[in-house]
Amino acid sequence: MSPATGGTLTLTQRDRRFGYLLTAPGLAVLVVVVTFPLFFTIFTSFYDYTLLTPNHDTFIGGENYQEAAEEEYLPGSLWVTVKFVLASVVIEFIIGFVVALSLNATTRFKTVYYLILLAPLLINPVVVGLLWRMLLHSELGIVNYAIGLVGIRPVSWLGDPAIAFWTVVLTDIWHQVSFMAILLLAGLSALPREPYEAARMDGASPLRCFVFITLPLMQPVIAVALLLRMIFAIKTFDIVFIMTKGGPGTATDLISYFIYRAAFFGLDIGRASAMAVGLLIIVVLLTVFLYRYMRSLT
Amino acid sequence: MAEIGLRNLTKVYGQDVTAVDSIDLDVRDGEFMVLLGPSGCGKSTTLRMIAGLETVTEGEITIDGDVVNEVDPAERDLAVVFQNYALYPHMSVAGNLSFGLKLRKLSREEIDRRIATTAEMLGIGDLLKRRPRQLSGGQQQRVALGRALVRDPVAFLFDEPLSNLDAKLRAAMRTELIKLHRMLGKTIVHVTHDQVEAMTMGERICIMRDGRIVQVGPPLEVYRNPVDTFVAGFLASPPMNLLDARFGGATGLDSVELPSVSLPLLAAHKEALRGHAGEAITLGIRPEDLDAEPSAARHAAMTVSVVAVESLGPEVILVAALPGGQEISARLDRDFVARAGSELQLHVDLERLHFFDTATGRAVTAA
Repeated sequence: MSPATGGTLTLTQRDRRFGYLLTAPGLAVLVVVVTFPLFFTIFTSFYDYTLLTPNHDTFIGGENYQEAAEEEYLPGSLWVTVKFVLASVVIEFIIGFVVALSLNATTRFKTVYYLILLAPLLINPVVVGLLWRMLLHSELGIVNYAIGLVGIRPVSWLGDPAIAFWTVVLTDIWHQVSFMAILLLAGLSALPREPYEAARMDGASPLRCFVFITLPLMQPVIAVALLLRMIFAIKTFDIVFIMTKGGPGTATDLISYFIYRAAFFGLDIGRASAMAVGLLIIVVLLTVFLYRYMRSLT
Repeated sequence: MAEIGLRNLTKVYGQDVTAVDSIDLDVRDGEFMVLLGPSGCGKSTTLRMIAGLETVTEGEITIDGDVVNEVDPAERDLAVVFQNYALYPHMSVAGNLSFGLKLRKLSREEIDRRIATTAEMLGIGDLLKRRPRQLSGGQQQRVALGRALVRDPVAFLFDEPLSNLDAKLRAAMRTELIKLHRMLGKTIVHVTHDQVEAMTMGERICIMRDGRIVQVGPPLEVYRNPVDTFVAGFLASPPMNLLDARFGGATGLDSVELPSVSLPLLAAHKEALRGHAGEAITLGIRPEDLDAEPSAARHAAMTVSVVAVESLGPEVILVAALPGGQEISARLDRDFVARAGSELQLHVDLERLHFFDTATGRAVTAA
């Protein structure tokens, strides 16, 4: 150690201390609202904790997990969730990419388009659910009124199992597609201009430029956008809670709603916690994969 | 083989930003033409218009006599080497070289043959499988050059391709480009802001300023006879000294008068300068036409005080102040030493004096 720093704190150490000082309040809040519930859930998942006996008196090991795995309706709910995630993320990606490409090519009124795009994202998902439930109401909704004007019979948007699933998917798309579009647009606008000019000199058509330059260069952004949306979509709860309550039947019974029912209708917090931990593990695995991928890019 | 002609070529961005202002230029078949100028002078825009990457606002571009204003960039059969190389980042070197050839539907054998030849010529044979980001700047530069060469176009357009290289590599690439040009014999238009590149590489230099062409000519001619103070001050480093002076003496044209310095005018100059007797003038003296020791050619002396002595190794740049306060630099022998503040005499080669109109900056006579 050099004599100048001997005994006193080095500049780096002081910087680090100051950093901790600044982040301490935020970290404290996070511990209370995130870490505590998280560990409470994991802890509870090993106990026979129900709303009738809300205590941690009976440790039952992995019994909750075993029961959860043997749930009769769990595979169905998982399948609905997989369908929902795939449908919404894929359609959002396609629409989002088209919107991003067109916005990237325009120069006029860009702020207006941004504003319109961002509007749905700023709305609370509960409000989105209420809004669309109202618009899609089979007797009083404006959508059925509008299609009635052109002679189409009223549709039971939320009453018919086959239609209700897609109604929820489309509502989610309406709400979240901007996220995809904006993420992809940010990627597109950061692409280097020069390879496109080189390609023009090489004689590449716009389609070839898209396939051979845009897509490969956008690959990291595309991967991140898809993964992020997947992680969010798996956890979707609000829209289903407001619009369908998992029904009709089990047509829109997403896993998060399934867990909610186990906890607050089945009253079995322990078993619900076990399922929540299972879901958490899936999301964490996806996040780790996303994080690894993003690190591999740099 | 291609002659490139620019007629009244103009580029206006938006409503009123004129980047290129009605320029005329003929690049001869097989010529190495350098467009030289400070940033924002319109040289890159001119090149990009020739390439077809920018639309032409007014005027014509011809290749071998055919107007190509509306011809698609790919159909013009020109190849561009960009400043930052513009390689396809996700393709291997071989992919970068072959992309344009595949689009032109060349046979697999022909593509392989061309890549092999080009790779050998540029010494990038062992890099073919690598991605651009695995290459050094100099290697990327070679690949970019290779991508142009492999196309076998009628002419090459270089947009400051050497400006991202370090000094040593840049010097090496200069030599290599000159060799390449001699070997291929193709027309090259090379844009640069580096006057050393222009002097060493160009068969002719076209100096641009504010979207207009100021002077076109072989490097030495432009160096010897700059048409105005802009060219005089731009070419060579350190550039020509430009001093406020006045013609004086009994006839008003016997000498050039600087504060406390009077330089006699030669008969040859007097002839050309007739009509400017007694007028204010901008006197141009190249640093290399000054010396600390008198010689047969340099005999007119002026007393200066030393401001700084910059030793470059092979030579010394002396910055000194004239009695009136104007600064002047001189390129002196590497052994020259002097203390700042001391006074000494600089000897001027009177035959190589340059005279510019003080108001317009235009050369009054050629030295």
